[in-house]
Amino acid sequence: MNRRTFWGFTLPSVGVMLVLMVFPLVTTLWFSLHRLKIDEIKDGGATWIGLDNYRELLSDEQFWAAFRFTLLFVAVTVPLHMIIGLGVSLLLDKVTKGRAIYMAALLLPFIVTPVVGTVIYKDLFERGGLIFWLYEVITDSPFAVTAGNVKWLIIIQSVWHVMPFSMITFFAGLQTLPAERSEAAAIDGANYWRNLWHVVLPHLRVLLLFVALISIMDAYRVYDSVFVFAGDRFTEAHTLQVYNVEQVLDPNIGRLGKGYAIAVLNIAGIFVVLIPFLYKSYKDQIAERT
Amino acid sequence: MMKFLRPFSRHTTLIILVVWSVLPFAWAVQTSIKFTRDVAQRKPVLWGYETTSSAYNSFWLGDDEINMYNVLWFILAFVAAAAMIGLAGRWISKGGTNAVKQAVGTLLLAITSVALVRALWIWLSERDQFSLWESEGGFATTLGVIATIFFGILVPILFVVSSFVQRQSGWPYFCTVGVVLGIGLWWFPRVFEVEDEYWFFVNSIIVTVLTMLISISIGVLAGYALARYSGISGAVILIIALAFRALPRTAFVLPYYFAAQKLGILDSRLVIVMALVAVNQPFTIWMFRTFFMDVPKEMEEAAMMDGATRLEAFRKIIVPIMWPGIIATSLFTLLLAYNEYLFVRVLAPTNWTLPVAIVSLTGGESSRTVTEAAAASVSITLPIIIVIILFQKHLVKGLGAGAVKG
Repeated sequence: MNRRTFWGFTLPSVGVMLVLMVFPLVTTLWFSLHRLKIDEIKDGGATWIGLDNYRELLSDEQFWAAFRFTLLFVAVTVPLHMIIGLGVSLLLDKVTKGRAIYMAALLLPFIVTPVVGTVIYKDLFERGGLIFWLYEVITDSPFAVTAGNVKWLIIIQSVWHVMPFSMITFFAGLQTLPAERSEAAAIDGANYWRNLWHVVLPHLRVLLLFVALISIMDAYRVYDSVFVFAGDRFTEAHTLQVYNVEQVLDPNIGRLGKGYAIAVLNIAGIFVVLIPFLYKSYKDQIAERT
Repeated sequence: MMKFLRPFSRHTTLIILVVWSVLPFAWAVQTSIKFTRDVAQRKPVLWGYETTSSAYNSFWLGDDEINMYNVLWFILAFVAAAAMIGLAGRWISKGGTNAVKQAVGTLLLAITSVALVRALWIWLSERDQFSLWESEGGFATTLGVIATIFFGILVPILFVVSSFVQRQSGWPYFCTVGVVLGIGLWWFPRVFEVEDEYWFFVNSIIVTVLTMLISISIGVLAGYALARYSGISGAVILIIALAFRALPRTAFVLPYYFAAQKLGILDSRLVIVMALVAVNQPFTIWMFRTFFMDVPKEMEEAAMMDGATRLEAFRKIIVPIMWPGIIATSLFTLLLAYNEYLFVRVLAPTNWTLPVAIVSLTGGESSRTVTEAAAASVSITLPIIIVIILFQKHLVKGLGAGAVKG
């Protein structure tokens, strides 16, 4: 394919990305250096304040709390759902009877609207919910969602929601593992765990890395479930994204400039993880072309 | 092998996991058909309770007196009509003579186009002001927007849709099924008095369909070119797209909010669709590229030997083979658009889609009940589940393909 045809084919898509992704990023960077309230947008009320937004953020306790919770969230959910997902995919690989049914049921949390998934999960813990009732039967005191446990409820809900993704990916990877390799290991006297460690996991290595990176990025920018679970009641359980949006949309705050500054810091944060990933993909791409 | 991995225990473990996955849904379903007094009791009534449809009634319908059986019959009638047309279409396209096929195809095409024109007309006449036009510098902006939409988006859509139409004999029936369901949606509020949530549902459908159509059409072209072109700029585009896919959504949604506020198009479906198409584009082109890499180059090269241009080869050879890949990618786009919460919350203060509507239900000050939230959850999830059941094969394949190679 020659260069002209290539640009002809990619132009609409690249155009959309240029106008609706590159341009917004530039505005984000530019207006993060301004004071800008949402009710003054129409009058063009942006005033240059240099790095003041950033300076304010770095000494903002709420920002750091959101940052810490985001890190905790990533550090707990990503390994947890990957381990469970790997376990389930290994089980599914061994099971032949009823595999399609198991798969469909296990995929459900991933397919359902995240907001709806959170709402129904949350209702289990409130009056009329199953866990609320069980808790009351066992401990004789009503269950209450508190500032102490809400973070863990969010984390459990998130593992419930994302696990099918790693499950289905690892399952697809296991389907490509030649059976002879495990058989050869078995003949050499390897038990289940040695086979898992020396044959299966090396085969899945690329996928494990891929799922880990995707999940880290997705967990880092989690919004829906945290906002629905924590809402305005538990501001200490806000992640960076929720904090970011609230700083703009909350009618009492409404600071777009500060919101932009948070977004810029978020981007900087994600790039720490992203750059090695991008570098590797770039090298793969170049290798493919030569 | 460890004892607990024996077949029986495998199934037990899997069943426990399935229960863990499905339990919240099961609980929501049984809550949604209970009376509020039964739900609020200290000990839940697990069976033998009286059932009621009042939660569904008060979520969707404006009048509590409406008989829910009538509503059910109405929905069933339209779904059955759509299914019958679909089946008849399949039957005609499989057997039947060419003359019958052509006659029925033309008739269905005529009905579809009349319905589409009528729908467009209604939509345009109900939008009494195009506010972008009236804002400062609005004329030039509007012209720019219209030109961009026309050349950048409409032409690719027409191109991809027409190449599909040429090759797939079943397409008039798909259109007619769509039109029947559309008429059902349009008729429903004229028969029953509806709550705002009904219009949020309609918004959800419009946004989802438009996002799917636009992002698939422009994405399939780019994905094809990226799979076939060996220059360095292809690699650069792919890497930048990958970076965009990973960035936090707020980095995009806040500028959109700013721009939409400036242009006075906040709260319109247009801005939501544009935003969703944009953020979905990186994923779409990567996924299409993965699928196209599997299609051997020789396919279109043979056609080009025979004198076809690249565009013709793409249209006549590649798109028809790629159909499963297009369906798989469309499914992911559909899920993304239908499930989107953050963008709609920020960009549409009042003209919501369903996910935003349900969150507002469960907010602290809402007077609505737990049963109604459950009914809402169930009714939002049902359409998704139906679509997934119809296309499950493609979904699993897409998840596998996207991951194993990406």
